[in-house]
Amino acid sequence: MQYLKRKYLVIVSVALLLGIGCKKVIQVNLKNVTPRIVITGEVNNQPGPYIVTISKTVNYTSDNAFPPVSGALVIIAGNGNTDTLTETSPGTYATHTITGRPGRLYSLYVSVEGKVYTSASTMPQPVQLDSIGYAASNRFNDKINAITYFQDPPDVSNYYQFNEYLNQTQFQNNRVGSVFDDRLSDGKYITYTLYNDSTDINKGDTLTIQMNCIDENVYNYLNTLSSITDQNSFQSPTPDNPTSNISNNALGYFSANTIEKQSVIIR
Amino acid sequence: MLKIIFLLTFLTGGMVSMAQKQHTISGTVKDQKTGEVLIGASIILLEQKGFGTISNGYGFFSLTAPQGNYTLVISFSGYTNDTLEISLKKDIIKNINLQPGGAMLQAITISGRSKNSILRTLPGVQSLSVEEIKNVPVIFGEKDILKTIQLLPGVKSGGDGQAGFYVRGGNADQNLILLDGATVYNASHLLGFFSTFNSDAIKDVTLYKGDMPAEYGGRLSSLLDIKMNDGNNKENKVSGGVGLIASHLNVEGPIVKDKGSFMISARRTYADLFVKLSKDTNLNRSILYFYDINAKANYQLGPKDKLFLSAYLGKDNLGFLGLFGIQWGNTTTTLRYNHIFSSKLFSNTSLIYSNYNYNISVTQSDNSVTDVSKIKDFSLKEDLQYYVGNGHKVNFGFDATQHIFAPGVFNSSQNSSFNSLTIQNKYSLDLAAYLSDEWNVSDKIKFNYGLRLSSFILTGPGSFYRYDANGNTIDTTTYSSGKLVKSYTSLQPRFASTYQLNRVSSLKFSYSRNVQYLHLLSNSTGSNPTDLWIPSSNNVKPELSDQVSAGYYRSSNNNQYEFSGEIYYKYLQNQIDYKNGAELIANQNVESQLVYGIGRAYGLELYAKKKLGKLTGWISYTLSRTERKFAAINNDSWFPARQDETHSLSVVGIYKPNTKWTFSADFVYNTGNAVTWPSGKYNVNGNTVFYYTERNGYRLPSYNRMDVSAILQGKKRGKYDHSWVFSIYNLYARENPYFVQFQDDPDNPQRTQAVQYSLFRLIPSVTYNFKF
Repeated sequence: MQYLKRKYLVIVSVALLLGIGCKKVIQVNLKNVTPRIVITGEVNNQPGPYIVTISKTVNYTSDNAFPPVSGALVIIAGNGNTDTLTETSPGTYATHTITGRPGRLYSLYVSVEGKVYTSASTMPQPVQLDSIGYAASNRFNDKINAITYFQDPPDVSNYYQFNEYLNQTQFQNNRVGSVFDDRLSDGKYITYTLYNDSTDINKGDTLTIQMNCIDENVYNYLNTLSSITDQNSFQSPTPDNPTSNISNNALGYFSANTIEKQSVIIR
Repeated sequence: MLKIIFLLTFLTGGMVSMAQKQHTISGTVKDQKTGEVLIGASIILLEQKGFGTISNGYGFFSLTAPQGNYTLVISFSGYTNDTLEISLKKDIIKNINLQPGGAMLQAITISGRSKNSILRTLPGVQSLSVEEIKNVPVIFGEKDILKTIQLLPGVKSGGDGQAGFYVRGGNADQNLILLDGATVYNASHLLGFFSTFNSDAIKDVTLYKGDMPAEYGGRLSSLLDIKMNDGNNKENKVSGGVGLIASHLNVEGPIVKDKGSFMISARRTYADLFVKLSKDTNLNRSILYFYDINAKANYQLGPKDKLFLSAYLGKDNLGFLGLFGIQWGNTTTTLRYNHIFSSKLFSNTSLIYSNYNYNISVTQSDNSVTDVSKIKDFSLKEDLQYYVGNGHKVNFGFDATQHIFAPGVFNSSQNSSFNSLTIQNKYSLDLAAYLSDEWNVSDKIKFNYGLRLSSFILTGPGSFYRYDANGNTIDTTTYSSGKLVKSYTSLQPRFASTYQLNRVSSLKFSYSRNVQYLHLLSNSTGSNPTDLWIPSSNNVKPELSDQVSAGYYRSSNNNQYEFSGEIYYKYLQNQIDYKNGAELIANQNVESQLVYGIGRAYGLELYAKKKLGKLTGWISYTLSRTERKFAAINNDSWFPARQDETHSLSVVGIYKPNTKWTFSADFVYNTGNAVTWPSGKYNVNGNTVFYYTERNGYRLPSYNRMDVSAILQGKKRGKYDHSWVFSIYNLYARENPYFVQFQDDPDNPQRTQAVQYSLFRLIPSVTYNFKF
């Protein structure tokens, strides 16, 4: 259904190519914001430590320097274990003993600057990534797009997140990862193409795809996030902050998810 | 129905019996050359002050006066007046043929329309003649009704590349667009660059800005009533044009001379042919065109009976590399039967069919999906006009429509990643009856008041869901075919009054309530052909609006100038918006994705028009505010709707120095749309994410543009008449914002930036028109 969203890209591209349209960087007067807490955390089915980061928002017009938040009490509980995290660098907190198992519920407790933030996420059962491949993009450019192949389990709702790495470095324009759900594809053998900006892919590069199985709330969060950061946002819904699964108006999300990676060498 | 007949008898009975030795003259007003009926021609008795009427939508008029000898004066804008001596000793039937004559050059011609705007009881009514539409410059030289009405006060454009329009703060789906009585669900071609109406085929366009006659209902903001040409019933005529982007051809003529005629008008764009010439191999494998056909035939069965059949078919086809294709279009058919029961009672019966559908096909690495969606209407409409006496007319009738919604049938190939899916059809019945009275109480005071009673009935078959606040299904009820699921009934009062201050000025006041049972879901900031129409249901309540307006109208210099000032306040209920991350495509539970709120809009509209002389044109200015309030959005506080526009100015000038040349120009300025932009940003897993603090808290840069055109009338050779139209859209190449995108700065990973996209800079075009 992604193609439905992309038809306006076609129109604007046609207008730009015919030389009647144009684009330019403009100066906009944006309001200042009161800094808000941003929490991101993950527990996965790989060995730990798992990381929680806490930072704050900045004004749009500022540099991309997001102030880390130190001195928080961070606890992750689940799978019969309660783990108090240690701050390894400013704003970054790591677990010690807790392990991620599919099917288990994990909860997050953060106490910082006099406020308490909580969240919970259930790690879904893993879905096996069958294989990955790549193909020349069908769009205006001759970009290469990664393709994943996997069997969606029937009769359960599954939610997927994909991250793309080139020679072990995550794609810059990958944003927060592409997400896919089986609402219209339950039980199907899925061919899923990642439309990331792959301008830098060359022959001999190693392309790695990470597929995460995520829970519904995390999917909803990431799906809204990708719709507001989409490259052709002009025909997207009116943007709004995605609904976080963390309490007390924190931005960000907490996810318990499975991870699987596969690599392919571009020939 | 019985109730209405009773009411009617009650209302009119007394007056009929009071009248003594009164007789009626009735008939039809037509163009002498083509036989086209003239809508809104003025018919007055010279000797009896205050005795006059206006021809209806089929050219019919009826005028009742005391017995005597009179001079009847018939006038219509752009035609020479006709004067008839009549002896009114019994009821007379008199058909009138007016001789066309350039009103622009004949200042003495009394314009039928100009008289109306002061005397007409309904405020907020705007009419455009085809002549005016023809002379206003437009993009690619394609004259366009919808683009031209956006130059009128209180009507806001969606911007470049958007055909949607907004009337007095309403949404784009709150406009009822009727083509010969049939609802047109999607009025745009090529994703909004053009409107679906081929102006070659159009006779009359009237826009009612909320105060619609009780005869109409179903939308909150406006009624755009478009009537097609009937066709020349005297001789065969061919006309056409060759333009930069499209060509059109119009053929009309008599079926039987003076008895019946036909008209066929067609156009097609050929931008795709240019695209094919492109060297870009991706671009030249794309499809991009539309065509439309308007056809109409009418036949006079007898002196009192006339039959009309009109049809419209429009199709858009957009394809990209054979990978993605979308086709969409409207089809409408109207069969009408006019019957004159008596010199006082006119009837129009219509059978109407309307269909809007789209098809999408996606072919992508073994993933093939097609989606077919449509909405279909069948209607029966009966309208009766009873001319009670001089200055007193009662309109009554009913309307029954069945809507069938087929939101989507998704078919996927065997090895596709998607399952096939059918979203269940929905069936509903829309019933309405109305009664209204146009009554000239005295020379000075006129009323137009009425009631519309409408019912909306949603029936099975199908499963219907109830949802909790989070959108999860609480329960499901399955209904068999024809079983009542939910019904709504509403009474909509309409009231308008005019107080004539003197011969050239009047004051008007009106109140009207409208109800809307169908809603267009569009979870994007622009309009898409795939936007989904849904009926009111157990979850979705009908939208309601209440509007009050008042205005001052004045003409001067023997109707050369016309001025109006109107103010309005509108209150909207059960307005629809979407949950964060709402899924509207292929969703059986689409109603669970909606949130409901209220709206308000108010404003001042000023309009000055010069109607006669070498230089004609108008200036329109609107000062307005449009707001919405939703519990789920912006902390339940009022926010500006996207179409909120503080200032809006249009200036249109048409200069005709001689019979050879016509020059025209327009200028528009308006406040930028209200938009939601990020105020802050934050980091999620190494990516910059934008942080939003309020809905529509920012403004796009203001929009302004000037267009010019020149029409060169060629020398007439025998019957062959031709002209050239040269035009430039966006003369000073203003880069108006289409949208602004926020993104990482590609040159500096520490920074983010705002990039403005614009669609059209200067666009010249030339069109050759011919007629024989």
